Amino acid sequence: MTELVVINSQTHLNLRVSPHPSSATAGMNAVSVIPMELPRLLAHYPVFFLKSQESGRFEPVALLGFNEGENLFYANGRWEVDYVPLQIQRHPFSLVRRQELVGAAAALDLAIDMSSPQIRTDEGERLFSADGTATKFLEDRASMMQALVTGSNEAFNFAGKLAEFGLLESVQIKVEFVDRSEKKLQGLYWIATAALQKLTAAQLVELRDRKYLEWLYFQMASLAHVSGLVARKNRLISGVAR
Amino acid sequence: MLAARFPNRGPDGISVTLIESRLQPPIGVGEGTWPTIRSTLKQIGVSETDFLRECDASFKQGSKFVGWLNGTDAYYHPFTLPIDYIDRNLAPYWLEGPRTANFADSLCFQTRLCDRSLAPKLITTPEYAGVANYAYHLDAGKFAPFLQKHCVEKLGVTHVLDEIVSVDCDADGSILQLRTKSGTPLPGDLFVDCSGFAALLIGKHCNVPFIPCKDTLFIDKALAVQVSYDSEDAPIASITLSTAQSAGWIWDIGLTTRRGVGYVYSSNHTTEEAAANELRSYLGGRDISYRSININSGYRREFWVGNCVAVGLSAGFLEPLEASAIVMAELSAKSIGELLPGFRSGLPQAARIFNEMFQHRWQRIVEFLKLHYVLSRRTEPFWIDNRQAVPDYWRQHSPWHEDFSHREEVFSAASFQYVLYGMGFEPEPLPWLLNEADRIRAREKMAETARHAANLQAGLPTNRDLLGRIRKYGLQKI
Repeated sequence: MTELVVINSQTHLNLRVSPHPSSATAGMNAVSVIPMELPRLLAHYPVFFLKSQESGRFEPVALLGFNEGENLFYANGRWEVDYVPLQIQRHPFSLVRRQELVGAAAALDLAIDMSSPQIRTDEGERLFSADGTATKFLEDRASMMQALVTGSNEAFNFAGKLAEFGLLESVQIKVEFVDRSEKKLQGLYWIATAALQKLTAAQLVELRDRKYLEWLYFQMASLAHVSGLVARKNRLISGVAR
Repeated sequence: MLAARFPNRGPDGISVTLIESRLQPPIGVGEGTWPTIRSTLKQIGVSETDFLRECDASFKQGSKFVGWLNGTDAYYHPFTLPIDYIDRNLAPYWLEGPRTANFADSLCFQTRLCDRSLAPKLITTPEYAGVANYAYHLDAGKFAPFLQKHCVEKLGVTHVLDEIVSVDCDADGSILQLRTKSGTPLPGDLFVDCSGFAALLIGKHCNVPFIPCKDTLFIDKALAVQVSYDSEDAPIASITLSTAQSAGWIWDIGLTTRRGVGYVYSSNHTTEEAAANELRSYLGGRDISYRSININSGYRREFWVGNCVAVGLSAGFLEPLEASAIVMAELSAKSIGELLPGFRSGLPQAARIFNEMFQHRWQRIVEFLKLHYVLSRRTEPFWIDNRQAVPDYWRQHSPWHEDFSHREEVFSAASFQYVLYGMGFEPEPLPWLLNEADRIRAREKMAETARHAANLQAGLPTNRDLLGRIRKYGLQKI
């Protein structure tokens, strides 16, 4: 159970937070990503689109594994590549809606999950200096949370526009591993290259002006990492030290 | 549907004109549909999201008949076919027993979704796709303008608001043009009579007689009301609820915004006042102001004469027990599109085929509707008068594909099985027609049905939840 508490300099003066993802937050095989991080994701992860369980709207996700809860980038408490998707990096922080008087603009407060194993008292990053001012670490996390809120909207709008232009198509990824076992990944979508060729000039301009054109090419290029993901799984199956 | 099928509006194409009367108000009931509506809407290019939002529509997964056998019973006629239905008839093996559940529950997972007012799909399921077969309940008063707007804006249909005052025809009786109140004559090659009960062309002009079937289906009156939900989060039923009354039955249809409820009854068996009282007591004693509608059960002797073809209420009307009105209009439009000849000289042949097909369909619907009544053991005069022996054939044989050999039967063997066995019909034990391999398979399939039902119960949202999300986010097209 999460135990979200709004952060303040008195209560959390001596609190320390480990910046390394725990197995609980890393244990997923697909994570929502935001457009801003696409250039960095492109170095390691295949990015697809899938439908949000909550709204059915399309969103970009980085694929981390083949089975539910399987994250092939995380082993022995360590993330194996140098970029961790923001949605995982952000833990144990969250934004919570501030209880305000009726009519006041909705504001969000930075909160921390006190039940997270990343909460420490012995080691890790401090949130506040001894004089109670926020550390750079805390400031970075706060702006990361803001970026996620904005970025999540951008991600849905981006994918929604691609769907509107008929650019998304359902894809079934079938992979075979070294031990001859097979896995079919369903519910994934990617850019239909044929549809891309049929865009009108006006649609292309719209995609360019919204920066969507750039983003969609990042996404398409990222698919080369599917084979890398299979290789990770194969190494795991054959027990090769990573 | 015709406009969508023939999209060429050029000089060598087909143009479609809809003439709508301002004086003839729409009948405004008939809010249940059949799963064919999904392919119809998809074909004409309607977005399911737009349709659900604008017509206050909800998902319908079948019908539930309450009290039809003896007053305390209930059974489902779900839209999803019995398991294994394409390959094997497992009904005889359910009949043979041991019966651990009723027929529909044993061979169809969908009843368990209906029990809990669950949706037939998820928010991630694309438009018009489902995990269980479904149709819709819709607000007829909103559906007609919704379709009309779509036809005019997207399909290039010309819409004329006018009254037809007379018909000009040639020597052999073919319609040349319609004369209207505004004075502009409207010529055409084929005239589709959608004028409702007025039957302006097929009845008044072509004089095709109407064949009543009141001697078989006794219902001739309806009292219709609209009622609000008790609370904002009250469940939206997944089925049309049909509850038997002393001289007929009450329909109960849940839309997103309200319920539509009505008592259809036989005026030979009760009075309007008594019927209104029954309806009032069904609704928990609340005050109601109802609309009274006459139901003249029957259909035309022919539907297509010369270059005039009747679709909808002008062709016929039956009590709304199995929501056959809209599906018959869909099937008619589909057949007209398929049969439409390239030249006038082909019309007689098209008419012949169409008439044969639709005479068969209307007859079979009447027969199927009657089947709902004949097994009742209720003791009111209406029900006693309805009682009849079930055809001997069903005693010796479980309804199956070969019994319904016409292409696109409105009601298949599955529907006959759901109603017959739902009403507790007991055919003769016929062990010599059964075999061990299918017996084992039936047992496996029944277990599979139960597992599938349990999985879906855990995974599907309620109708109300899903319809709320669709209102907010919409469904994806893919």
